Amino acid sequence: MSVNEVQQNKEVEQNWEPKILVFACTWCTYAGADLTGLSRLQYPPNIRILKVPCSGRVNPQFVIKAFQKGVDGVLVAGCHPGDCHYTSGNYFTRRRFLLMRRLMEYIGMEPQRFQNRWISAAEAPKFQQVITEMTEEIRTLGPNRKLRDDQW
Amino acid sequence: MKRVGVFICHCGTNIGGVVDCPKVAEIAKDYPGVVYSVDNKYMCSEPGQELIKKAIKEQNLDRVVVASCSPRMHEPTFRRCVENAGMNAYFMEMANIREHCSWVHASEKDKATEKACDLVKMAVAKAIMNKPLQKATIPVTDRALVIGGGIAGIQAALDLANAGHVVDIVEKEPSIGGKMAQIDKTFPTLDCSACILTPKMVDASSHPNINLITYSEVEKVEGFVGNFDVTIRKKARSVDMSVCTGCGVCMSKCPSKVDSEFEMLLSKRKAIYTPFPQAIPNKPVIDRDNCTYFKTGKCGICQKVCTLGAIDYTQEDEFVVTRYGAIVISTGFEQFDHSVYGEYGYGKYPDVITGMHFERLINASGPTMGKIKRPSDGKVPKNVVFIKCVGSRDVAKGKSYCSKTCCMYTAKHATLVTEKIEDSNVYIFYMDVRTGGKGYEEFYNRTREKYDAQYIRGRVSKVFKQGDKLIVRGEDTLLSQAVEIEADMVVLATAMVPQADASKLAQKIGIGYDKDHFFTEAHPKLAPVETHTQGVYLAGACQGPKDIPESVAQASAAAAKACGLLSKSEMLTEPIISVVNESICVGCGLCVPICPYKAIDLKTISERDHGKTIERLVADVNGGLCQGCGACTVACRSGALDLKHFTDQQILAEVNALCL
Amino acid sequence: MVDLTLEIRKTAKELLEKGEAKVVLGWEKGNFPYSTTPVFIDKPEDTERLIWDEYCINNLALYMLDYKHLDGKVGIFVKGCDSRGINRLVQDKQLDREKVILIGLSCPGMKDEKKAKELGPNADIPMAQKCQDCRYPDPVVYDVFLGEKQNKKVPEKIDTSDVEEMETKSPDEKYRFFTTNYEKCLRCYACRNVCPACNCKECIFDQTATGWLAKANNVSNNMFFALTRAMHVGGRCIECGECERVCSVNIPIMLLNKKIIKDINFLFGDYDAGLETEERLPLGGYDYTDPEEFM
Repeated sequence: MSVNEVQQNKEVEQNWEPKILVFACTWCTYAGADLTGLSRLQYPPNIRILKVPCSGRVNPQFVIKAFQKGVDGVLVAGCHPGDCHYTSGNYFTRRRFLLMRRLMEYIGMEPQRFQNRWISAAEAPKFQQVITEMTEEIRTLGPNRKLRDDQW
Repeated sequence: MKRVGVFICHCGTNIGGVVDCPKVAEIAKDYPGVVYSVDNKYMCSEPGQELIKKAIKEQNLDRVVVASCSPRMHEPTFRRCVENAGMNAYFMEMANIREHCSWVHASEKDKATEKACDLVKMAVAKAIMNKPLQKATIPVTDRALVIGGGIAGIQAALDLANAGHVVDIVEKEPSIGGKMAQIDKTFPTLDCSACILTPKMVDASSHPNINLITYSEVEKVEGFVGNFDVTIRKKARSVDMSVCTGCGVCMSKCPSKVDSEFEMLLSKRKAIYTPFPQAIPNKPVIDRDNCTYFKTGKCGICQKVCTLGAIDYTQEDEFVVTRYGAIVISTGFEQFDHSVYGEYGYGKYPDVITGMHFERLINASGPTMGKIKRPSDGKVPKNVVFIKCVGSRDVAKGKSYCSKTCCMYTAKHATLVTEKIEDSNVYIFYMDVRTGGKGYEEFYNRTREKYDAQYIRGRVSKVFKQGDKLIVRGEDTLLSQAVEIEADMVVLATAMVPQADASKLAQKIGIGYDKDHFFTEAHPKLAPVETHTQGVYLAGACQGPKDIPESVAQASAAAAKACGLLSKSEMLTEPIISVVNESICVGCGLCVPICPYKAIDLKTISERDHGKTIERLVADVNGGLCQGCGACTVACRSGALDLKHFTDQQILAEVNALCL
Repeated sequence: MVDLTLEIRKTAKELLEKGEAKVVLGWEKGNFPYSTTPVFIDKPEDTERLIWDEYCINNLALYMLDYKHLDGKVGIFVKGCDSRGINRLVQDKQLDREKVILIGLSCPGMKDEKKAKELGPNADIPMAQKCQDCRYPDPVVYDVFLGEKQNKKVPEKIDTSDVEEMETKSPDEKYRFFTTNYEKCLRCYACRNVCPACNCKECIFDQTATGWLAKANNVSNNMFFALTRAMHVGGRCIECGECERVCSVNIPIMLLNKKIIKDINFLFGDYDAGLETEERLPLGGYDYTDPEEFM
């Protein structure tokens, strides 16, 4: 049993719950999450939403930092292409994170842990579905130890 | 150390029914920086807000966190609340524990409470890093620029001028009027286009608040909302406008004849000319490329015949810089270059013409005095074939979009042919007939039923000449059979495309354009006349194919938006914008192409370095243009660019708080 | 190469004597037969120190940053990789093209100094890895050219077979590979310091107060450093391999850089950084037609 596995078992025993950080753009995904609430669509309580003006504001470094600090999954979500409140922010997001996602996978991060989605202000069912699926995927994977700074 | 106050709202039972609010308030007391934490039934209510204000004063709070509904709902409320207590509005942060928590985790009360604690913790961590931000004011120049003097531009200018604002219309042609001036009749009412347009042209030219700057183009646009510095190139007219009375003697004596653009090259104009008799201003210009004097240095007849001495061959292009508060773009459209459809024989057969040629042929003041005659031999055509969607809805050769107006103007043309030519037959090849608009479907039905126009659903594969006739070969897809029509004239309903230089103008002004080079509106539904550059508005077909009523409606809408801006002498700007730390910025400019608002430029600064003054480049954010998306900050490797209120450190603080 | 050494000295001397350049950058012999170091010559008589041999491996481009504010021009000898480094700096607005005189040299591929040290003086020394991978031995930009161009036939696309091999491994295997390597990282920043694409005024990793990178040297922080640097040079890396060459603990840094280059080529179209100075950078723009995976 590797160190990683010992640690994992320990945390699973202690009623580990996935902790997922969601970067949501103000105009689409954050509003979509609001609509999910207004529609009373239920999803697992494992996400924490961090509001940013635009998905283009999300620095890939925030993602690494979040994993360092101990989150089990990161979702970066914004407006669909063409819908960006700022015209083109999400196109930059797409470019940056197409690369970043591949890079993270390349260094051994499970792809389920770092996801990107376009969720509009109207797509409450989609928001619910994405969060539910992602939570389950990460629950299956177990706690994340990769990139984690053990000081934390 | 900051003194944070935390206020947990029950929202009746909306939050309180799921989240254990007193417990959250209790736990929050232990978060770093929190000195006061309390829960309340309705935080947004008058007593709730009083509670916050009182706590700010009594507890000497310098940050406030309100955990309640979505900030999209009550952020303005609580910002005002803390401001009333003397605190900077941006020291208030919200945690969304209703939409994002109680409402979506109704059956998991413990976990919802735990989540609410995390959300409050993140908000506290961010609030501690918040900086006071002030809305700045920028002055607004009460003067508008309308680019393009077609019907949309004229309407926008008249509305603005009637509201009391000074407007300049820049028009690249020698006269205002645009495409509508070339059109004979308008659908679906068939009233004469000139009869309704020319009075508006006169209104515009005689309005005390409107200045016409014709035969001119926008050269450069600098500045930002409220303060656009626009350089306009006034092309040399070679005619002194202040002296010329527009008597027209020069035009009648000029020996150089040129194909008239206004008449779609169907007749001639002179080298010194006005585009059409009702032109405004009705003073000629010299077309230097075709003027004998300018080509050979000999002639000078116009100068000799002008008794007022208005002809000035030495005139040069003049550049004027004027400051405008708002810009309305109404540059309109052009006809699609359908030479790609060689099979239709345009250019090869003079009797294959476009819809705009047809407008001139039926116009009473046109080259044929309103008699429909074939350009080749002047014969009156009996069989006229119309081909629709030439360039529109054709991904392979033309444009993917529908040009919207062609169905209706083709129906109008069909009606006019039948009315003007006895025993004539009209055949219309179409893909679909689209008649959305008041009275449009009725007009189309009349064209078919009363005027007996033959609508044939299908594409034309070839037009070729046989003797005196043009044979139009196509397919009737409804009957699945080949069709061949002996036509005397073929009229192509060519697509509407933006002006050839539309993308260049967009780049000058700093607005977006789509793949077809139509200008992009700020939001397709909710901001259809605004652009992403504040203070720049769109009117008419430059934004997408439109007919006259739509163009006029959009022009008035754009004018109303511009009026809203110009009616105040100064405007508030959002304080959430990007800032540059010049001491770290290396001036690489990687951020510059990222900005959708062209708000970032590089500027040179000089500083002392090892006892020597050096000059170096740094990024410079124009606060009037920046909209605060923050996309640039990610492009900055060294973190010299940061977004106020969403700084790297603020976001990192939230991430850290989540994991503590 | 001896002839070229003489020509190099002559050219440098002329530049300095005529005052066309204030300083000339080249290589001089180091303490060992298998080492050279960059040298900055500002006196005509010192040009005798310049050499050109099979160990002139240093990319000189980055040193131009030291002469950013010099009054007068700098002469610099450029191989293929140095010239791409110069383009990198020009495109990043860190160097005024007018202020440099580029003296082009065709690079036969340099020898591996580490191997030379190991194998001893009489051994047949293999070519350095970065030179084996090189696709632009001739300078892509220069003002004068010495010697003859080889016009060597080089592969059209970057060889990413090592990246592809890594990609086939399981997540845990990959993670183990990278963390085992980056566990060794001393965060000496030699890789950054030698990199022409790392031309910030103040590197984010030196800004301790921002909270981006903790000082603690552990594999988590080292990975933050590695991934962040890879993203920062993403689309701008000129593949000179200097980072990997100078790494004192032999971390295969180019495996990360090449991964990003490979993905950029695949996702956004083939792009070799540093071939010119005007084209849009891969991360400085976007296309509406970029692959859609976010769904």
